Amino acid sequence: MTDVLSLLLTLLTLTPALDDHGFQRAIDTTLPRVVKLYGLRVGLEAGYGSGVIVSPEGHVLTVYSLLIDARNVRAVTADGSTYDAEVVFRDMERQLALLRLANPAAGPPDPAGQAARAESPPTSFPCFDLAEEVELLPGDWILAAGNAFKVAEGDEPVSIAHGVFSARTRLDARRRVRDFPYHGDVLVIDAITSNPGAPGSAVVNLDGRFIGMIGREVVSNLTHTHFNYAIPRDVLLRFYQTAISADAADAALATTAGTTMEAGHPTPQDLGFRLSAVGYKRVLPFVEFVRIGSPAQIAGMRKDDLILSVNGRSVATVEEVEQRLKAAQPGDPLTLVLRRDRNIVTANVTTETPQ
Amino acid sequence: MTTRSAASCLCLTAAFWILAGATSMATRGDNPRGPQADFELLQATQEVVRNVAAQMKQYLVRIETVGGAQPPEQIVDPEDEEGEQPRKRRSQRPFVDTPGSSFEIADGPTTGIIYSPDGYIIASSFNFVREPLLITVLLPDGRRLAAELIARDQVRKLALLKVDATGLPVPTWVDPREIRVGQRAIALGLGFGGDRPSVTLGIVSALHRMRGNAFQTDAKLSPANYGGPVCDIDGHILGIAVPMAQRPGELAGVEFYDSGIGFALPRSRVDEIVEVLKTGRSFYRGWLGIQIDPGVQDGLVVFKVANPSPMQEAGVVPGDRIVAINGEPIRHFGDMVKALYMIPAGEQVTLQLESDGREFNAAVTLAAAHELGDLPDVAEPFDPSVPKPDTDEDE
Repeated sequence: MTDVLSLLLTLLTLTPALDDHGFQRAIDTTLPRVVKLYGLRVGLEAGYGSGVIVSPEGHVLTVYSLLIDARNVRAVTADGSTYDAEVVFRDMERQLALLRLANPAAGPPDPAGQAARAESPPTSFPCFDLAEEVELLPGDWILAAGNAFKVAEGDEPVSIAHGVFSARTRLDARRRVRDFPYHGDVLVIDAITSNPGAPGSAVVNLDGRFIGMIGREVVSNLTHTHFNYAIPRDVLLRFYQTAISADAADAALATTAGTTMEAGHPTPQDLGFRLSAVGYKRVLPFVEFVRIGSPAQIAGMRKDDLILSVNGRSVATVEEVEQRLKAAQPGDPLTLVLRRDRNIVTANVTTETPQ
Repeated sequence: MTTRSAASCLCLTAAFWILAGATSMATRGDNPRGPQADFELLQATQEVVRNVAAQMKQYLVRIETVGGAQPPEQIVDPEDEEGEQPRKRRSQRPFVDTPGSSFEIADGPTTGIIYSPDGYIIASSFNFVREPLLITVLLPDGRRLAAELIARDQVRKLALLKVDATGLPVPTWVDPREIRVGQRAIALGLGFGGDRPSVTLGIVSALHRMRGNAFQTDAKLSPANYGGPVCDIDGHILGIAVPMAQRPGELAGVEFYDSGIGFALPRSRVDEIVEVLKTGRSFYRGWLGIQIDPGVQDGLVVFKVANPSPMQEAGVVPGDRIVAINGEPIRHFGDMVKALYMIPAGEQVTLQLESDGREFNAAVTLAAAHELGDLPDVAEPFDPSVPKPDTDEDE
């Protein structure tokens, strides 16, 4: 009998080692740093989501959704404890929100199961360090951890998906997706993560280092396939820094910051050229006029040049040239690639400060 | 082979041996180093994939296009609406055409592979559906050149470009007979921009797909890497990624974006096609030049024959029944589409027909749409394999 028991014990102690695998370290790091979020279901929006703990004080980063606007948002941590999640800051433009895990006050039970209310908040939450830089190359393994389809009930751990990192890019230009909610850089991944509940999932590399967070679900209205992407760590870090330094109630700050950023960008007029205005709908960016002595003329631009790209990003329409100019910082030199007859020429335009 | 590429090959080989070593460790289940060995295996795989991407970069070009129309289905031409050119309009309608959504071909950069040192570049014809005014190619060495679109294959979705350059580095391709189902497939593309090729990882899912033209992979393929290579772990090219589906049309395959179903043309097929494209001849979709009687649900009965058309030359008249194409029995419209969708104009098919109870065979050379006489617009032919009638071929 004792022999059998000791054999069983040996087997039991051996089993974890046998079950372990190369992704274990990353998963062990990630699970305690991800929360499941529950709130109100509004229309087509799921009443659940995921979040990433980013400070020992219990700050949780997630994707902005109507869920966040619900009166009672609850967060369930990996140990099954439930917290009230207070909204600290929301940024409609970047589609991000910062929450904070608060007193495990009494309230209605978790809709997804019997997760226990935390007795008292821990003094320090396990968290990802957003400031930690991580080397990431296309083809690197990634894991995404979150509450996709809320299959993780009660105190069950969130789901893990794996794939590789494909590229860092902006999706809006490439994919022609309507209503793409986020216009900054994204990390394209080849794991299937664009699912209800997955926004706010942590994305880590093979070492369990945080590289990004799954953004809002995006479905192509053409192919009905989902785009799988994460918002990069550095973008999240900038948001987080803004969010914690801003007064939680002062939402106006975000708006003011937005308008200041718009001002002062170079326009074709400032640079001394005018673009074609003939045709309709998609107007090719032909240069129609170059002002004598203007930065455009000094840089060698000529009438009838066709602008192919601005600062390395290709442009197909007048509108896109204007968009790219808006994206440039005042005073920064601009590199324009032009087609002149059958030749390709480059013009380096130094921007003037607008009058 | 240059010294640099030889060195990167050595690196690859070294990484592969680490991988092989880790595999042998991982197979010993009772080894307490199991998880560590597995971790090392994953790390080694990651290293191999990074190296393949780095090594392949020198063979890939970024293709940018300027101008060009959106495909015809998006442009509402009143003359078309009145049925002036029904065939042209309808044949290019995209598969997914949900009401209220307009299809726009993305105009971001796309990918091409250097085919020969003297400046031939292969890409996906999908990249040029818009008939761009100007095509530029950014070579790996940083030179940006205007490219000429020599010809394209609208059926196998391949395009041949030429730039004025010599001494370009040429990648190694895998002998198609050595491609195995289950082997790793690394898909690379430059469509997302940036300095490094994008990477999606998968395996070879099946061979001899699309009537023997392509192999299938579950590496995610989309316009971001169409025209780019699908490589093995040694950095050799298994095939060039192209959009494909079991239906004809220039936009066939868009329904499979990033779905885990993707196709690539192996070297042997690429060579056969490029041989012809180099002469400036394009492959167009093949047509019989008939309409099928929409009122007949039992088999396929010819309703109208275009004048001129391959079927008219073969002596086919309205009322004739199509029994088989190239030996494949034809029971309904979908069968005919499947039998013909990968056969370009200019190639011959053998039709088995029935006329007044008499069976006869006819060798028919498929024609391109512009070689056919006009056909009036008719209702959709009955096809039990298509629940919603959105394949509207009128051969």
